[in-house]
Amino acid sequence: MNGKAQIKIQQMAFMLLAVTLFIALVVVFLVVIRFSGLKESAMILEERNSMLMVNKIANSPEFACEDSFGKNKVNCVDGDKLMMLLQNNEKYMGFWGDSSIEVIKIFPKSKAGLCTLDNYPNCNIIRVNSENSEGFDTSNFVTLCRKEIEEGETYDKCEIAKINVRYS
Amino acid sequence: MKKRAQEQKSKILTDMSRKAQEEMVGFAMIVIIVAIIILIFISFSINRDVQEPLESYEVNSFISSTLQYTSDCQDYISYLSLQKVILKCADKEKCLDGKEACEVLNETLIQITQSSWKLERGGLTKGYVLNITEKEKSIYLIKEGNLTSNYKGSMQALGRDEIQIFFTVYY
Repeated sequence: MNGKAQIKIQQMAFMLLAVTLFIALVVVFLVVIRFSGLKESAMILEERNSMLMVNKIANSPEFACEDSFGKNKVNCVDGDKLMMLLQNNEKYMGFWGDSSIEVIKIFPKSKAGLCTLDNYPNCNIIRVNSENSEGFDTSNFVTLCRKEIEEGETYDKCEIAKINVRYS
Repeated sequence: MKKRAQEQKSKILTDMSRKAQEEMVGFAMIVIIVAIIILIFISFSINRDVQEPLESYEVNSFISSTLQYTSDCQDYISYLSLQKVILKCADKEKCLDGKEACEVLNETLIQITQSSWKLERGGLTKGYVLNITEKEKSIYLIKEGNLTSNYKGSMQALGRDEIQIFFTVYY
């Protein structure tokens, strides 16, 4: 009888050990599955934050088209406004911190590179702020709009551009 | 006497067998319960992963910018945005200069996608697909490069006639 009870206790101990080991293995398996997507989640989060920052700049009053080119325009940058901003750049000294901001025309491409009041709008890059030459680069597509005149008539001309922000 | 002893032995063996069976059933039940718990955990984990959209803000912004692009297609008022050209193309209409709206759309979209997503050897972007559908039927499609398993995409609806623009970039 005593021997039988001992065997029973041993059986129970083995059973408990087996179940505990099994559960531990399952927990490890689940932890591995959960953490395998962590790097991807971090990348998505980083991309989201960068895009939010770029979108915030593109939609700020200094950049945004607002109602000048029709309503409901998102991620729309007013090129004419930016050129005026360049003229008054010293007033905006330090306004964007140490970040470097430029709007690069993607399509259609013009011959000239950097935009000045002389070559605008036949140029590709409007450099708003060039405080920082080192750091992280983040960019997003925007619509670069301006007022164009044809045969005495004014119309809205919107092109594809990228807003590029470099920050440290 | 001998017969009684045999009966007793037989009864003991039957009892032992029944107890062993009960233990087996208990063990099986534990295994089943643990398996169900694992299945619930795994399905919960997988479902959470699937719910994470593979959307890209960059692709979404690209579609928005493209739709706002001023095309060469004119009507009696002004030059039309690409969004309006898509609607004109869906209605099989022409621009003021007599050119088909679909032709303008095709030329412009090819140029825009080629300038915006460069498919260079060793580059980050391997390919892209632009699909414009009307009532779930494709009315315009561009496929360029390699369609890998690593991709990000976005969709925008134009509202009218259930026109949808899908753009997917493959890395």
